[in-house]
Amino acid sequence: MIHDRVGLTWHPQLAAAILAARDRIDLVEVIPEGTFLESRGTHRALRTLAREMPVAIHGVSLGLASTTAVDERRLEQFARLIDDVQPECWSEHLAFVRAGGIELGHLAAPARTETTIDATSANIERAARVIGAYPLVENVATIIDPPGSALDEQTWLARLLAASRSDLLLDLHNLYANATNFGFDAAVVLRSLPAERIRCIHLAGGTPVHASTGEQRYLDDHLHDVPDPVYDLLEIVGESVPHAVDVVLERDGAFPPFNHLLAQLDRARVALARGRDRGRVAS
Amino acid sequence: MSPNFEAFIARLYVDAAARRRFLADPLREAAAADLTEEEIAAAVRIDRVGLELAAVTFAQKRRRRRRHGPVMAAALSYWRRLVKRPFSG
Repeated sequence: MIHDRVGLTWHPQLAAAILAARDRIDLVEVIPEGTFLESRGTHRALRTLAREMPVAIHGVSLGLASTTAVDERRLEQFARLIDDVQPECWSEHLAFVRAGGIELGHLAAPARTETTIDATSANIERAARVIGAYPLVENVATIIDPPGSALDEQTWLARLLAASRSDLLLDLHNLYANATNFGFDAAVVLRSLPAERIRCIHLAGGTPVHASTGEQRYLDDHLHDVPDPVYDLLEIVGESVPHAVDVVLERDGAFPPFNHLLAQLDRARVALARGRDRGRVAS
Repeated sequence: MSPNFEAFIARLYVDAAARRRFLADPLREAAAADLTEEEIAAAVRIDRVGLELAAVTFAQKRRRRRRHGPVMAAALSYWRRLVKRPFSG
């Protein structure tokens, strides 16, 4: 029997509801920004939380997928947080977030090239050396075909995993969003990834957006419910990944009643279990 | 791709005036940015729809963060008090 775990992103606004529903939430993922990174008081509070339930720390600001070396001061700040909180694991995005002194305030997909694979691998090594553990690395959603790319997403990801010791936090909604925007089959890409390197899964929602030309793209915004095709992808994960995975629902605003979020966690458990059953029959 | 190219793209994402100049004459702007021939060609081929939407959505994200700052601080303060109490079933 494989014991997958299902949880959600922790937000202060949801804290009381999460604590009250601990029997239906296996883990929480905390995004350290601003106060979270700097305040030892917040670190202590997170440590208390981490003693109560499994906590993962999910970075958004290191910018590992950059041709520039990740900032040592940021890494040391992150290391203090990890040391204080003692989470089960930590993760970061395969994105750049600053360049040439410009802060993007968001995650930008890097050019998919051999150069960025080498630079990202080197940044992952730097981060692991300072923090003391390798991050899980997450595929990002992009609304723009990453400028300067020579490789497709599938190839870039596979080569990066081959070149690094980090395992994959596979965001199924990011994969779905990119497939929608750039016309590939998310299920085919998912099946091509090394299943033994997939450790954690993200689910989220998004919305269509329109350019001035009228052209439509799909935005990963974490403000909407998980769309049906993402649960289908989760079934494939259940079918193909041979070990337990952690599944995290990311909801960062426009919060519905908490029961509505719990219902999405339940639906994720059902999708995973269906995939696990299919995997057992196939083997 | 080089750090220069990343910086060039980052500016296009966040700086509306730089983006307007670039879209009016991509080759001239890229050539003036100390990029390699390969990077200039990549810049000229940029996904224009994606660039417009990336700029809009990145700006929305930055605005949302600024707006939510005070709400987050209050919620965080409440949570710190909550978590100080012993957990019970």
